[in-house]
Amino acid sequence: MNPRTCKALASAAALLFVAAAGCTDPTVQPVSTITSANIFNDPSSYQKFLAKLYAGLAVGGQRSGDGSTDIQGIDGGFSQYLRLYWEHEELPTDEAVLAWGDVGIPDMNTQTWNAFNVFPQSMYYRVFFQVSLANEFLRQTTDAVLAARGASSTLKATIQPYRAEARFLRALSYWHGIDLFGDIPLVTENDPVGGTPPAQSTRATIYAYIVSELAAIQSQLPAPGPSTYGRATGPAASMLLAEVYLNAGVYTGSPAYGQALAAAQTVISSGGYSLDPSYRHVFQADNNTSPEIIFAITQDGLHTQTYGGVNFIIHSSCGGSMNPSTSGVDGCWYGNRMKPEAYLRYDVVKDKRASYFYTAGQTLAVSSISDFGAGYAAPKFQNVTSTGQPGSNPGFVDTDFPMFRLGEAYLIYAEAFARGGGGTQAQALAYVNALRERAYGNPSGDITAAQLTLPFILDERGRELLWEAHRRTDLVRFGLFTGGTYVWSWKGGVSAGKATDSHLDRFPIPATELVANPKLKQNPGY
Amino acid sequence: MRRLGLIFGVLLVVFCTAPVRAQEATGTIRGRVTVDTTRQALSGVAVTFRSRTVLTRADGSYLISGVAAGTDTLRARLIGYAPAQRSVTVMAGQTVVVDLTMSSVAVNLSELVATGYGSQRAGSVTGAVTQVSAEEFNTGRIVSPQQLIASKVAGVQIVDNNEPGGGISIRIRGATSINASSDPLYVIDGMPVGAGGGISAGRDALNFLNPNDIESFTVLKGGESASIYGANAANGVVIIQTKSGRQGPPQVEYSSSASASQVTRLPSMLNAAQFAAAVAQYAPQKVSQLLSANTNWFGLIDRTAYGQEHNVAVSGAGQSNNYRLSLGYLNQNGVIQGTTAKRLSVGLDYAQRLFTDHLNVRTNIRGSRSIDLFTPGGVLSNAAQMGPTQPSTDATSATGYYNWPGNSLQSADNPAQILALATDKGTTYRSIGNVQAGYRIPFFEALTANVNLGYDITEAQRETFNSSLLHAQLKTGTGGTLSRSNPSLLNTLGEAYLNYATPLRFMAGSIDLTGGYSYTQSHGEYPNFNEQNLSTGLLGTSGIPTAQTVQNTLDIQESKLISLFGRLNYNLRDRYLVSASVRRDGSSRFGPGNAWGTFPSVAVAWRISQEPFMASHKGLSDLKLRASWGKTGNQAFANYQQYAAYTLGDAQSQVQFGNTFVSTIRPSAVDPNIKWEETISYNAGIDFGFHNQRFSGAIDWYSKSTSDLIFTVPVAAGSNFSNFLTTNIGSMKNTGVEFTLSARALEGGRRGLSWTANFTAARNSNQLTSINPAAGGVQKILTGGIAGGVGTTIQVLEPGQPINSFYVFTQKFDASGKPIQGSYADSVPRAFHDPAPKWILGHSSYLKYANWDLSFTLRAWLGNYVYNNVASNLGSYAEVTRGSPYNLHTSVLATGFTQPQYQSDYYVENGSFLRLDNLSLGYTFQFYGQPLRLYATVQNAFTITGYSGVDPTAGLNGIDNNIYPRSRTWTGGMSVRF
Repeated sequence: MNPRTCKALASAAALLFVAAAGCTDPTVQPVSTITSANIFNDPSSYQKFLAKLYAGLAVGGQRSGDGSTDIQGIDGGFSQYLRLYWEHEELPTDEAVLAWGDVGIPDMNTQTWNAFNVFPQSMYYRVFFQVSLANEFLRQTTDAVLAARGASSTLKATIQPYRAEARFLRALSYWHGIDLFGDIPLVTENDPVGGTPPAQSTRATIYAYIVSELAAIQSQLPAPGPSTYGRATGPAASMLLAEVYLNAGVYTGSPAYGQALAAAQTVISSGGYSLDPSYRHVFQADNNTSPEIIFAITQDGLHTQTYGGVNFIIHSSCGGSMNPSTSGVDGCWYGNRMKPEAYLRYDVVKDKRASYFYTAGQTLAVSSISDFGAGYAAPKFQNVTSTGQPGSNPGFVDTDFPMFRLGEAYLIYAEAFARGGGGTQAQALAYVNALRERAYGNPSGDITAAQLTLPFILDERGRELLWEAHRRTDLVRFGLFTGGTYVWSWKGGVSAGKATDSHLDRFPIPATELVANPKLKQNPGY
Repeated sequence: MRRLGLIFGVLLVVFCTAPVRAQEATGTIRGRVTVDTTRQALSGVAVTFRSRTVLTRADGSYLISGVAAGTDTLRARLIGYAPAQRSVTVMAGQTVVVDLTMSSVAVNLSELVATGYGSQRAGSVTGAVTQVSAEEFNTGRIVSPQQLIASKVAGVQIVDNNEPGGGISIRIRGATSINASSDPLYVIDGMPVGAGGGISAGRDALNFLNPNDIESFTVLKGGESASIYGANAANGVVIIQTKSGRQGPPQVEYSSSASASQVTRLPSMLNAAQFAAAVAQYAPQKVSQLLSANTNWFGLIDRTAYGQEHNVAVSGAGQSNNYRLSLGYLNQNGVIQGTTAKRLSVGLDYAQRLFTDHLNVRTNIRGSRSIDLFTPGGVLSNAAQMGPTQPSTDATSATGYYNWPGNSLQSADNPAQILALATDKGTTYRSIGNVQAGYRIPFFEALTANVNLGYDITEAQRETFNSSLLHAQLKTGTGGTLSRSNPSLLNTLGEAYLNYATPLRFMAGSIDLTGGYSYTQSHGEYPNFNEQNLSTGLLGTSGIPTAQTVQNTLDIQESKLISLFGRLNYNLRDRYLVSASVRRDGSSRFGPGNAWGTFPSVAVAWRISQEPFMASHKGLSDLKLRASWGKTGNQAFANYQQYAAYTLGDAQSQVQFGNTFVSTIRPSAVDPNIKWEETISYNAGIDFGFHNQRFSGAIDWYSKSTSDLIFTVPVAAGSNFSNFLTTNIGSMKNTGVEFTLSARALEGGRRGLSWTANFTAARNSNQLTSINPAAGGVQKILTGGIAGGVGTTIQVLEPGQPINSFYVFTQKFDASGKPIQGSYADSVPRAFHDPAPKWILGHSSYLKYANWDLSFTLRAWLGNYVYNNVASNLGSYAEVTRGSPYNLHTSVLATGFTQPQYQSDYYVENGSFLRLDNLSLGYTFQFYGQPLRLYATVQNAFTITGYSGVDPTAGLNGIDNNIYPRSRTWTGGMSVRF
């Protein structure tokens, strides 16, 4: 090649080089995807983010029927927070048994789970999903961040109670977390996202954290009333405090019955709530109008559709010869029945709380877990309104889940009194008998002061709060969940029931989590 | 950017070391080299005069200038041809024209093989590359192009889903990915169309391409050869070249065929009497629901499926151009009612040579409309579940079809009603085209500058409609539903590269150097709407009525890939071959910390047969040892993974604040540094041939290690927004060996009996080596969802095991050999076999005698396992206790299970088989002076297998859950030229 050709080629190459330099940036910004870079340009995003914190309890994902699921590793409907929480609180106890053979469920019925069980695993992730999102919400709504985004003072004022609500929801899930799993990490908005795995904290530390958080936000939460239905209010925070104090002995070794009683009293005397004249109404499609509910996980046939939550409770407690339309749904899932011990607590003749039990074609004894016909059915929750109208959608129920209601505040008062937490006997008796009178329709079921014993209160909680996701916590507090003092059908995996080991009072830290977070130590016994 | 400069720099250095023109009294030799028999031009022939060597161009021409006057021998040498020589006298200032002809001694060594951004003679290839040309293609009714080469290439597994043109998957040397694609990159006439071949609203994305237009497939199996395609090449590359016009006057080809298909096997369900007996025994309370019909539900939904195909092509070539215009029409029904594939295609290929053949422009444009009608969902599963005692029709019902009373959620739907009242249709318009220009620089003819500009545009529509009168809609209360999605995708390509091929002056041997730049971008729009509880079903898919629930979404996806690449081939006396390449890819899918990936390769080969010391071994026509190493990437995963996206909740996932419902947003957990999955491959091979390649073959050993495998793994709870994060973390390995043997066993000449036989055998072992290094072997991911239960899975991703191994319990049996319900030898499931075949064997024969030709393709898989989900799901008496009883699989008669045993290994069956894929007989005679060929083909003539279900090959995942049944197809056709 002669030098001239070389030169020409060199120039051509240089030209190409320059032209190509403009075409060497492979970056492509997403156009129809909303990212952290632009989401908060829309001021309504703050409310939507807060709504997600509530939705995390109510549905499994971002699409109807738990699609676009929040957590992975389990079916969308199975992964729903309330459904998982309900299963953890009810299936291992003397109250419920679920027929299905899906991997992991049989072990939940019989206290025979291990660290690989996908249900505790998913529950654990659900708790921390709530915590992580609440933390992020708090990070995104600090004064500094809002100021940097140029938020208006109106917007700032709107967001202030949202922050308190986020902290309430985080405290609620932390309570579930320490109650179910014991020592778990404490992650707050001060920890970075995507950072190193968090260290393990203790039940007692997180207990103290919950208490301090609830105290701090008490006055900032929205006021109760129809316009804030579904959201966390001051009394809801007091109720959560009452629950946490009541179980303080389990979490820290030092009971706090006095504080539990005081917190319950705060709720009762807030004046915003009264016992619903109809016990049934508290669990029906229009229970959003019940005067008794302090904090509900809302469900709606048209707007809040999940295969978990109350939709699961209602569908799964239908089967056998039951007509699904009685429950207001499109079909039966042949799942949950009562264990006989739950049924036998009732005076089924007089106690109206037992009036809806379904026994036709069912047996009292649970001879087989997988046979829906074994065990009486308890269609306590209904997608039918108090006036007998079906809910808006037979496929997805309107019935909200009363996570906290006044009736339980009465029982907390009574139990805290009975455990020496102060208060008066007369008051305790009055609260319990108020529930009894509603149940019996007259004072015939009233108890005397002498009858107001702890065993009675546990039984009464069983009757009043059946299938409301309190039972495991109650039995643990009473020291009866494991061990041989109290055995019930299928406890320990045998139909007659047998003693189980006390390590089962806590669920295992999931095996997958021990891998992902090497800082964690498994609970003893697993 | 520095790299780009480097490539040009290297090129320049090479150019500038080229010879300086001689100044003394010299002459010139020029001419053309052709094949002695066909007069076809031969390119790349090394023509040597004294110490000067040049290579012939595409048209076979060569020019040696500046040679000193005198007489000497001019020699021509090309792999696969006998060397030619002639004495030439050169006079000063004169040009002597010497045309040479060469005779072929080993045709398959001299074939030009496409290698991506160029081609090479087969005998000079250093890597694992296989080319299949039209005469070897599979015969019969071929809807998807990929089916043409099924069982033809060792190490290439081609799996379809039994529907005409349905969902083809190709695995080259095993799967390399779990969460990205494992399908190869397809490149059609230089236009890459992506892993899996692009988008479609119907069946396989490549169905837009008329198989009749395809000239050849080249499969770049090894990492060393594929790595020129960098981050898209980890699963191998399939280069498709289409037909172009041949020398001669205009010619019209017409071919036409008609076919009929029938179902070969269906699930084995209880008959009416057996079903009634089962219900009476296990669900007496349901007996009242039973009627006295005797319905064969599968008989109501299957059919003899007819199809036809017509192709017309006009082609020809002039002095400086060639062209081919083709039209194709295909209409093929499936053996289940409601299934049809239709294609109308047109293709134009035009090449023009300009400026005394210095500029060569080839334009390729093709377009097609595919209409795919699908059997609506649930027809097959309901045909299995529907009670045979129940009638199909019911004069008293609103639709005239019978359904179980009570609309229980647990009741099967009448499949005949679904066929009548539901629609599922995909329409895809696609056009792909490109202009490739190659300019040979005047006065510097060894250098060619190439530009390739292309587009690939798809407009598609998928519509589904379910009438509100359907039983399935009544029982779920969703009413009538309508959904429509209209995906559209535009990909554009701009490439420029230089090619420099020359014998070297300063040292022995010749080089072939390629370097260039490529830019591709993609813009896709995915609008979608869904309606539930339609106000009317009268419009079907033809309109959008009002509805109770309406969901509209639009997603726009954009991506870019920018690449620099270079390759050097060095050939020393056809004995020692070295090839090295490097590609640098910048992709919009990579996070900012990993925006660019580099993918080098190197390969060496030694053609021992060319060594002088082998000259005495006359029978040995080829013996070549090959060894190579290459690094490739896989970027076939979703866009925008590195961006912290917020997911909007829909109108049914809101929460109640007071009296209003508020929709939600959710942050997602992301890895901002997501990048390609990386595969490092080693290949060692030996090619051999005897008796002028009458017997030839190859043995290849390979090992592919994939790292940075994208997995969604648990992250420490509380540290991110989800419990799982998608990140580059796992690793996997494929190792294997491939054998190919080809023999022209009988060579009977034009009228006698000739027989060519090809054998392939390939063994691949796959092992997932790690999911999460921190977790060791503990971490497993359950996968392989099945019908039965909610979220029940049957497979596992477990380190140390092949991917998607079945994850089941060891069934215990009683003394009589009957499985004991719920009795297992182990307390937790264990990994147990996997769906991938261990050995894939293929055999093709081509026989010819006088006017007759006969060919067939045999295929065998060994060691592939299949989970019979129809048996496991409907194989227990619990199914008759449903709201309305489900029919049972006949396996229940043997097992007696009363509860489903989904996780029993009883249902994991060996799916090894031997199948005659096709058998074709043709007769050719002269018709008005032109050849006319008549032929008949039967596809899927027989399958010998121990598997009890419908088909041991459908789908890659090895789960037989009411899969589309395989059909046997008879095709008769003719082709004529005039």
